[in-house]
Amino acid sequence: MSSTRQTPSDFLKQIIHRPVVVKLNSGVDYRGVLVCLDGFMNIVLDQTEEYINGQLKAKYGIAFLRGNNVLYISAQKRKA
Amino acid sequence: AMASSGPQNPSQIMPLELVDKCIGSKIHIKMKGDKELVGTLLGFDPYVNMVLEDVVVYEISSQGKKVTRLEQILLNGNNIALMIPGGEGPDN
Repeated sequence: MSSTRQTPSDFLKQIIHRPVVVKLNSGVDYRGVLVCLDGFMNIVLDQTEEYINGQLKAKYGIAFLRGNNVLYISAQKRKA
Repeated sequence: AMASSGPQNPSQIMPLELVDKCIGSKIHIKMKGDKELVGTLLGFDPYVNMVLEDVVVYEISSQGKKVTRLEQILLNGNNIALMIPGGEGPDN
């Protein structure tokens, strides 16, 4: 069941077009569909929702997140 | 001096080798600030950005610990302060 070895770039290729949660250093959460990203963790999300303190605060169509603010990018594991 | 040591002494282990040995096992990571994570290490890159699965994130405050569970994440290496191979987290 456990996944094989996976580098960050493998992970990033795998999660494109999937719904993700991006947490920023500030603690703000963004949920949306991952459109694209680069090696700096700059991210473009579609159907973005912004959660502050767990509360939905805003919705954006397309959002660009600057990588230097990103703490982590999280995705659901793909069921086989 | 260390720089001129020639072929590596097998008993000398470099930091990223230690991290590499941890792939497939649990690791406890302390971030700058009041966050800690425990998860299974899947891989990392030279910047020590880390791919982790079955992660528990602990946010520690005077009000206690807030826990979040995440299936699979890429953690930005920028904010990592300390890594403990085989660590169980702040509940120990």
